[in-house]
Amino acid sequence: MAKTVVLTVNGKSYSGEAESRTLLVHFLRDALRLTGTHVGCVVGRCGACTVMWNGTAVKSCMVFAVQADGDEIVTIEGLAQDKRLHPLHPLQEAFWKNDAVECGYCTPGMLMSAYGLLSKGTKPTEEQIKKAISGNLCRCTGYGNIIAAIKEAAAAFGDLK
Amino acid sequence: MDFPINPPIGERVRRKETERFVSGTGRYVDDLLPAGTLHVSFVRSSCAHARIKSIDVEAARAMPGVRAVYTGQDIAQHVKPLRVGGSSVLRPVKLYPLAVDKVRYFGEPLAVVVADNRYLAEDAVDAVSVDYELLPVVIDSEAAMAPGVALVHEEAGSNIVYKYHFATDGIDKVFQDADIVIKERIRSHRITACPIETRAYLASFNKEEDSLTMWSATANPHSLRGRIADILNFPEGKIRVIAPDVGGSFGVKIQTYQEELLLPYLSRELGRPIKWCETRVEHLRNGRHGRDQIHYIEMALKKDGTMLGIRDKIIADMGSTYTVDHSIQAAALYMTGVYQIQNYEVNALGIATNKTTHGSLRGIGKADASYILERLVDIAARELKIDPIDLRMKNFIPAEAFPYRNVTGALYDSGQYHLAMKRTAEMADYVGLRKEQLELRKQGVYRGIGVAFVMEPTSSSRIHATGGYASCRLRIDPSGAATVFSSMSEQGQGHETTLAQIIASQIGIPFDKITVIHGDTLPTPYGFGTGSSRSSVVLMPSAWVAGKLMRDKILGIAARQLKVAPENLQIGDGKVFAKENPEQSVAVMEIIRTAYGAIHLLPENMEPGLEVTGYFINPNIDYAPDDKGRMNTFSSYPYAAVIALVDVDVETGMIKIVKYFTVHDCGNMINPQIVDTQQQGSIMQGIGAALYEELRYDEDGQLLTSTFMDYRLPSAEEVPPLMLEHIVTPNPFTPLGAKGAGETGMLGPPPALCSAVEDALSPFGVKVRETPLTPDRILNLIEKAQAKPAHG
Repeated sequence: MAKTVVLTVNGKSYSGEAESRTLLVHFLRDALRLTGTHVGCVVGRCGACTVMWNGTAVKSCMVFAVQADGDEIVTIEGLAQDKRLHPLHPLQEAFWKNDAVECGYCTPGMLMSAYGLLSKGTKPTEEQIKKAISGNLCRCTGYGNIIAAIKEAAAAFGDLK
Repeated sequence: MDFPINPPIGERVRRKETERFVSGTGRYVDDLLPAGTLHVSFVRSSCAHARIKSIDVEAARAMPGVRAVYTGQDIAQHVKPLRVGGSSVLRPVKLYPLAVDKVRYFGEPLAVVVADNRYLAEDAVDAVSVDYELLPVVIDSEAAMAPGVALVHEEAGSNIVYKYHFATDGIDKVFQDADIVIKERIRSHRITACPIETRAYLASFNKEEDSLTMWSATANPHSLRGRIADILNFPEGKIRVIAPDVGGSFGVKIQTYQEELLLPYLSRELGRPIKWCETRVEHLRNGRHGRDQIHYIEMALKKDGTMLGIRDKIIADMGSTYTVDHSIQAAALYMTGVYQIQNYEVNALGIATNKTTHGSLRGIGKADASYILERLVDIAARELKIDPIDLRMKNFIPAEAFPYRNVTGALYDSGQYHLAMKRTAEMADYVGLRKEQLELRKQGVYRGIGVAFVMEPTSSSRIHATGGYASCRLRIDPSGAATVFSSMSEQGQGHETTLAQIIASQIGIPFDKITVIHGDTLPTPYGFGTGSSRSSVVLMPSAWVAGKLMRDKILGIAARQLKVAPENLQIGDGKVFAKENPEQSVAVMEIIRTAYGAIHLLPENMEPGLEVTGYFINPNIDYAPDDKGRMNTFSSYPYAAVIALVDVDVETGMIKIVKYFTVHDCGNMINPQIVDTQQQGSIMQGIGAALYEELRYDEDGQLLTSTFMDYRLPSAEEVPPLMLEHIVTPNPFTPLGAKGAGETGMLGPPPALCSAVEDALSPFGVKVRETPLTPDRILNLIEKAQAKPAHG
């Protein structure tokens, strides 16, 4: 049974039809055509689909679209909040600078998990960074540069939000 | 040798492609959704070996949103079978996009549902019922050779589908006369690459134009185009294959798959774009698998540790459709590795089984060879009571012996093995580590020090497979910007950056004004796939050649205008000027305008425009064996020395990598940052292979590891402290001096970690012969060993 789902995504209101079984990630990608959020396993292990749901980083393959009805979502497309002023968020800049990306497929999910961690406001330790992204698999980089990038962005995060 | 390479070659330039990836604007196949797209889902075999008695698709056809359902029989009448087998020694078989009479592995596609969306397609797949007549399952590659065993392919007449033998004269005598012979059975376990983007295809047939566009997450667009043309009997020139952004390959996307060839057919039949994105479960079951070789190997040595000879019998599990044989061949040709061993015999057998098709995977064949050889060397060191580093140092090919012809005819380009091993030992403070190990043991800490030295033949140049050449077309537009059209596509390797670096170094056009186009068969020149770490060895030199041709053209035009000989001219700061008198100059922009618009000013016989194609052919390749069966099929030989430090928890069986030291040599680096990142990723993939990942089948041929929950990729929490250094020994066979850089990293961890764990558990007298090194396997080893008196 299709139902109208209304979401605020990246500060904009969207509505679309979703069946009760439609996954949030498919709703974002197929109905709203926000394709920066990726699909890698659909069992909540790889993290390529990570988005912010009401302020918390979640895997959007583990959420039905109807569960998020009326809620606030931030995807990779909304990470840089004022694109005219700063086309990239400092986390995105740090990923670029530290060569934390190869094929790019895991990158949006990785960035959203990192954003979820830094949004908590405390400066994370290396162990906390590793834990925060342990649900995001990357097959290209071996994680070292990703960890370095998050560390670097965390150092400046106080004035990021 | 002098390499004429200038900045920005060799600089840690930031990658161009990263900007779109971090901002979420990369475009992968699944991001594309042309109007009217239909979606497919496959009915897959629930058993490993069976005859298909009947398929009932009526219920599925009646389901909501279902547009069509096809079985293998429906398709077979309208397409040609796939060309299977890349070598004359393989027994060829016919393979259709969907199984026709029988299924040969768990998960083989046998019918397809086309529906309005992927949910409806999957619903309808559940409504298809298949009646099977079960056949005996062939799952053990050794048992598969016995007479009377069921055949995976009846028409092949045997489950032994590949045979290779090579022997040097007098090999038996070498073994008879040896002081000691080390004999082992070692298996490299079955794994897969698991890029985070699974396979994804979108075919769109345009009836008005009678043409086909195929978007594929492939690493091999030009070859795919030819195969589509072949199977559909459709003109190749009317097919355009586009590999947009591709989310990793590591070998698995270089080959053509059954599903990949079916989608163009469906689009032509139904007149609609057809899309399929593989699920992760499908990827683990049906993506190409790798490794899975059993070696019965023996090494003859003198008491002093001099290696005299190797004899090996390889039994390689090729799965059900064995589309490639080079995994076995690569292992067979390189079992002597980095050592001066000129006595060798190998019997290599490729076996068809009811497992998923075996194929390319980062380090194919060479990873098996280096793992098994390095284990053997370690075991020999223990038996002879010689330090594992000393034993290696004693037998390495010396630096002055390069280019070195190994016993099977492989021509190693260059190397400084002694230096790399020595430097690694210094970096790790090997002597200090040994002392520390004894201290720790007193405290009940089981620390192990593992040594390995791995070599990765790269840039395979096989006839009709990787070709031995690559090309780049280079155009300078009238606006003054340059475009490079690359024959090879990328899946994360950074070609958009490195190709631009090479061109920028030659023609005086800034890096930022150079665009690289790849992965689209329409504008790019023909080329083989991205694999075997070929890009730096063959593609980058082809860009260098294109840059040189363009440079020559620019200088030729300037020479006429300035009346100065081209060899006395130089390009810099957007100008061409006389070396002797820099005041005498002409702007590059002026030359560009001349080439396009004022051709009466061009030198005689020069073609108008600024467009050139550079080819590079690997010069050191043999295309046929000599009278002794020797040949070289790879064009560069990067290597790495490794020392791994582990702590083994003997209560839980958990392994902690305390530190991982490695010194790597891939020759000159076009972009050292890209090499470093790729090395780190490659090493992590090797750690996954050694410790966590395994594709396990039960005796009925069911894959037990079909999700990321049971096929465990390493995460950030498993990253060890990694000490990575490079030494640079240029490859004399390319103008850039580079060797392949993508795979060596992955080869190190399996032998180094096995060595380290065996060393850590030496008080128990544990022998590590099975991988991956999971906690239950470690506990099992300790338990079994404790039943016997320890002799560590």
